[in-house]
Amino acid sequence: MTTSPAVPRTKTSVNNPRPSPQWWLALAGAVLLIASAFLSWCYVPALLGDLSIDAFPGGLQILMIIVAVLAIFFLVLRSGRMPSMDTLLDSAKALKALSATAVAFMVLVAIVIALQAPGLANANPGLFVGIVGAALMLAGSWQMASDPLVDPITVRLPGWVEILVIVVMMAIILFGAAYALGQEDGTVFCLFLVFLGGVVAALARGGLFSWISVIAARHRQVLMMGALAVAFLFPFTQNGSDANMSIATQVLIFATTALGLNIVVGLAGLLDLGYIAFLGAGAYVSAMMSHSAFAHIGWKPPFIVVVIIGAIVSSILGLIIGSPTLRVSGDYLAIVTLAFGEIFRLTVNNLDGNNGPRLTNGPNGIPGIPDLEFGAFNFGDTHTVLGIPLGRFANYYFLMLIVAGFIILVFTRLNNSRIGRGWVAIREDEKAAEAMGVNTFGLKLFAFAGGAFLAGMAGTIKAHQDVSVTPDQYIFLESAFLLAAIVLGGMGSVAGVLVGATVLKLLPEKLRFVADYRLLIFGLLLVVMMRFRPEGLVPSRRRALEFHADDQELADRVEEVHLEIAADPDTAEAKA
Amino acid sequence: MDLFFQQLLNGLTLGSLYALIAVGYTVVYGIVQIINFAHGEVFMIGAFGALATWTVLFQGQTSLWVLPVMIIGAVAASVVVAVLMERVAYRPLRHAPRLAPLITAIGISVFLQEAIRLFYPGAKSAMPFPRIDIVTGAALQLGPLTVRRSAIFTIGSLIVCAALLWYFINRTKLGRGMLAVSQDKDTARLMGINVDRIIAVAFALGAALAGVAGVAQGLQNNNIDFFMGFLAGLKAFTAAVLGGIGNIMGAVLGGLVLGVVEAMAVQFIPGTFGGSPWKDVWAFALLIIVLVFRPQGLLGARVVDRA
Amino acid sequence: MSTQTLQQPAPPKFGAPVLEASGVVMRFGGLTAVNNVNLTVREGEIMGLIGPNGAGKTTFFNCLTGMYKPTEGEVKFQGAVLPPKPRAVVKAGMARTFQNIRLFGNMTALENVMVGRYCRTNALAFTSIIRGPKYHREEAESRRIAQELLDFVGLGHTSEHLARNLPYGDQRRLEIARALATDPKLILLDEPTAGMNPKETEQAKDLIFRIRDKGLAVVVIEHDMRFIFSLCDRVHCLVRGETLIEGSPHEVQSDHRVIEAYIGQPDEDEEELVAEAHAHDHETPPTAPTAPASPASDLTKEDRA
Repeated sequence: MTTSPAVPRTKTSVNNPRPSPQWWLALAGAVLLIASAFLSWCYVPALLGDLSIDAFPGGLQILMIIVAVLAIFFLVLRSGRMPSMDTLLDSAKALKALSATAVAFMVLVAIVIALQAPGLANANPGLFVGIVGAALMLAGSWQMASDPLVDPITVRLPGWVEILVIVVMMAIILFGAAYALGQEDGTVFCLFLVFLGGVVAALARGGLFSWISVIAARHRQVLMMGALAVAFLFPFTQNGSDANMSIATQVLIFATTALGLNIVVGLAGLLDLGYIAFLGAGAYVSAMMSHSAFAHIGWKPPFIVVVIIGAIVSSILGLIIGSPTLRVSGDYLAIVTLAFGEIFRLTVNNLDGNNGPRLTNGPNGIPGIPDLEFGAFNFGDTHTVLGIPLGRFANYYFLMLIVAGFIILVFTRLNNSRIGRGWVAIREDEKAAEAMGVNTFGLKLFAFAGGAFLAGMAGTIKAHQDVSVTPDQYIFLESAFLLAAIVLGGMGSVAGVLVGATVLKLLPEKLRFVADYRLLIFGLLLVVMMRFRPEGLVPSRRRALEFHADDQELADRVEEVHLEIAADPDTAEAKA
Repeated sequence: MDLFFQQLLNGLTLGSLYALIAVGYTVVYGIVQIINFAHGEVFMIGAFGALATWTVLFQGQTSLWVLPVMIIGAVAASVVVAVLMERVAYRPLRHAPRLAPLITAIGISVFLQEAIRLFYPGAKSAMPFPRIDIVTGAALQLGPLTVRRSAIFTIGSLIVCAALLWYFINRTKLGRGMLAVSQDKDTARLMGINVDRIIAVAFALGAALAGVAGVAQGLQNNNIDFFMGFLAGLKAFTAAVLGGIGNIMGAVLGGLVLGVVEAMAVQFIPGTFGGSPWKDVWAFALLIIVLVFRPQGLLGARVVDRA
Repeated sequence: MSTQTLQQPAPPKFGAPVLEASGVVMRFGGLTAVNNVNLTVREGEIMGLIGPNGAGKTTFFNCLTGMYKPTEGEVKFQGAVLPPKPRAVVKAGMARTFQNIRLFGNMTALENVMVGRYCRTNALAFTSIIRGPKYHREEAESRRIAQELLDFVGLGHTSEHLARNLPYGDQRRLEIARALATDPKLILLDEPTAGMNPKETEQAKDLIFRIRDKGLAVVVIEHDMRFIFSLCDRVHCLVRGETLIEGSPHEVQSDHRVIEAYIGQPDEDEEELVAEAHAHDHETPPTAPTAPASPASDLTKEDRA
């Protein structure tokens, strides 16, 4: 590692003769910012979720309190009270980013007030106090020097502390998600995004995330359980509101499908541009076997049988489409899958009785698919658990959560197995893999069929959740959209896809004014990501390496993680 | 039998259009080995370029002399877009893993469609394409055959373009440079050929033909829309594969064959699976069959599966 | 390790034929890269395959290992004709390395070797997802064997290093470990010492002897004549796709046609050319004695020895 040998105690005292004037300046700014949150910012109560009440911080004002408290935390860190944390986190960089966020946020609020109140005359002194506070923070932190950090891998806190950090992080994610979804006002949502982006950037620059990722690698099980708990608890924060649960369910279905596609794209390295057709195949099977008046298959088996049939039909299609992999390589295959997607769309459009058998009702699709019913549990009804009502979408959300959990399990276990190694070998050098006895054709075909199987499964549920199934839900753009989620989040990474899918599906829902531009933005996003960060926002380490073949520093870094994991008694046990 | 010849003619017309676009796929693939998936959009941009030229300069004009200017407008628009896309998006990825340029291509494709839909006035729905004297209008009757005027324009364009293309590749310095680069990029560079420039020329060449195709399509269909490049591009790619990707004359042949197969499928596949709703399905099925059983295509210039 | 390098090739008491290639012809269009080559390799034998650049050695290798389907002729492995599929060939027990190293660079050394175990393990999708005790046994077994092989080639300490970060010589050894992981009866090494320094070359020789001592047959392509003649039990010389001579190292190195093939057809007097090479060798020792560009000097050196 390149970091100089760390001398924690002495260097802080050498670098920061504290308390310096800068330090006091920044502290004063943070305190002012908190104070401003308790003042009124604006006369107009209707604006920005009511910032007009003294001594009672509104939603956006609480965000600023959070920023200020974080800043104070880093300032305390800087004063050398917590030496072990101090060497781990770069407080100077974090403070700079926090202050910049505060300034940007306050200025944006001022602009919104000026435009919508309208006029800055409607602003109250609190707003200006806040701006001054933010500016002071920025002025104070601007010249702060960064301390040398130690490598987070080498730091070991007691196990319970590390687990606590994960739990706290999960709780924050849960409340953040609930808060964000609760914002009806597009402007407020945007400001929240500014806050979120700024805080995430600050913590990332401060080195918190690299530390957390190390902890997360050490406590994978806890992390998984935590994530699952957050996802499970989410509907309980919504108080039976269907509006947000509908969005959350859509995000979940989308993310689940993207995870399935990520097996094909991220693990096996095959570009599948017709993946949505497998989802569609499952959905159509489910619709045709449902009790809808427009379903033309007489046999109505129990839903679990339908799920299996849908998945099998999908995977048979996957086998057929994957079969050219025997003869053609990467980009040709992508086009074959694209052509297949078109064939699917055209076929379901045509099977209306006039052009072929009457199965799909052509462009009109199959409407009126009834809700699922497991015994006495009807998915259309609202159920009350612990006094909290859970509506129709929450029911489907829980069902999809099970499917998503299953797909994540399949994904991670396959990735970390003989089959996963075979896939990596194929991605790296297919000819060499073949020459080393890896069944390349079989593995690629399996990726296709397996991915299709999972999509088919998700599709059968989606049909019931959507109530109707039409061809225009399963067009190429949807496949491209799924691909965008993977590219944005990170190929071969579960967390990445969840992030990517959430961002891509949530933003257009919340930001109505970008809804019309969403495809334009996706297109641009694909190009920009491939150019500047092809491994995605939350990349898998190996994928990052593959996209940066000449980045030696990254390679060294990855190797170090390998060595560390091998040396770590906990994980070594888990591996054995 | 008359029906057969009528369908043959229709197929050749359709095929000429595919062939004009397919050349773009094959030229670029031959030189940089990427499938420029966004090429269908270049074709669409060409059509809109022609429309814009007409709208700005000749609104209301229908005389024949307008046509060459429209073609120039179309070619200019598509060439600029194609060269820009090469420069901005593809060139930085030349040494990236093979997945990267393909994903970029999809991004460009979606971006260009949306850019036209959102920013070209009125393009959210199909837009009428101008009528031009002589090349549009009442169909001609040649014995039992009905010949649309636009079909003559389309087939004529293909003949002229193919001849020019042949001359360019085999008889000009730039064309021979292209051949050299497609054989071996590094050696060509050592021989003093500016490979970057040759690659840009390849994109431009394909785009020019796609621009012409855009005009032909507009005249043929009477209207154009932002989504027209998707299906046409996919079909043209099928044609390029059919002919043997990388082989320029193969693309022309592949286009014609695909067009004829499609036309014949509409007419001669019996039962409910015939007819125009299924013709695209047969075209794509043909693509899959060719890729599985003869990936080197009809003329087989290039081995598909490079080590 | 160093004591073992003095070990002489085992006495020529070999077992049954492992590999029998008869009448192998490989044509690419009009070009005949390999023409009617016969090769028999017996158990416990180290066979050298030499020839000037472009003689068709690697093409012949590719025919043997199923990368190419020979135009004519057949390749029998342990008495059975092999299907021309690399995977089936590996499964049958023939493994290879590559002239230009083809490791999986972004995998660790251990993972690379574990990929070699792929064809000897059978955990399928279902097993990999459910992960019963059998799965864990198999994984642990793969891991153990891979680690043993790394130790065997002397890379035990690098198991968690990325293959691409290993030094060149280690990468060659890692390729050998990966090939050994497929449990071969016969291993084909394509220029295992290319680019190595003399010390590494000695280590490689030692490693090949130890592989032979495990009971494997070995076929080696090399340009380094000193290496080949001190290593192999038999040497097969290919020139322009055809067999020039096959015999003991002594027979081959004393055959004037071999020298001719390497330094070209003598215009006037062959002796003179060889003498010239001698003289050149004396005055200015070549900077890279093992480099394929100067095989003649290696030959003449061997003559003097």
